[in-house]
Amino acid sequence: MDMLLIGLCVGVSAVAFVALAFGAAMRSEPWNTTAPPQLPLVKAVAPARFFSDRAPVPTVVPSGQVPIEVLLLQIENHVRLEQAAAESFLAFPSQALLHSKTTSPLVN
Amino acid sequence: MTHELLNGLSSAEIEQILKLGTRLIIPSGVSLFRLGDPADRLFLTERGRIKLTLPMQVRGREEDVFVEERSPGQTVGWSALIPPYRFTLTAAAALFEAEVIALPREALLHYFAANPAAGCKITLNLAVVIGHRLQLFQTMWLREMQRTVEVRSA
Repeated sequence: MDMLLIGLCVGVSAVAFVALAFGAAMRSEPWNTTAPPQLPLVKAVAPARFFSDRAPVPTVVPSGQVPIEVLLLQIENHVRLEQAAAESFLAFPSQALLHSKTTSPLVN
Repeated sequence: MTHELLNGLSSAEIEQILKLGTRLIIPSGVSLFRLGDPADRLFLTERGRIKLTLPMQVRGREEDVFVEERSPGQTVGWSALIPPYRFTLTAAAALFEAEVIALPREALLHYFAANPAAGCKITLNLAVVIGHRLQLFQTMWLREMQRTVEVRSA
């Protein structure tokens, strides 16, 4: 009789253990499929600048290109030089004056 | 002040013409007219300089690029007398403020009808102004073409 009771207790305990283990396994499955929690986006922080209060100046002009203001001045200077050359030609028309070389940095 | 458009006119005629106009002060950088605007007035430059520009694409941006500058005595906006009466450039006071006399087309045409001799002289003066512009830009165009050909042939 005692052996029967002990066997019954062990059986019930084993069933309970298996049930708990199965439940735990079922709960853990959705944990793995859910997306990881979204962390708030944090802007990249510029490296600390020691011994300087100045913010870095953003570089707009690619290397090798003059700023657009300089380019516009070069265009204006070029037009003025070309007009002067054209005026010279109109005052004294000759092939040499028509095709005189310009010193404009825009085309040299 | 001698105006190129009024060359050869008597003092009385010049006075009559100038009375048709209105004096305008144009602050530096402010437009007198813009490309495409209806041209119903032409302007005699009295003081300062008027910068003429045209829009051009520079590095993907539209910029007003220098074309010509008009100084005192010179005429600006002769499109007011030439069909289709639309300005083909943008005009603005250059570095300093400028002063111009604005002459309405209608008033000028009435004056020409009443004073044909003066009208003829003004028309001839206008032809000189337009002809000079044409020759100047023809020469500049040829020089640019020559450079293009040289670059292509190099």
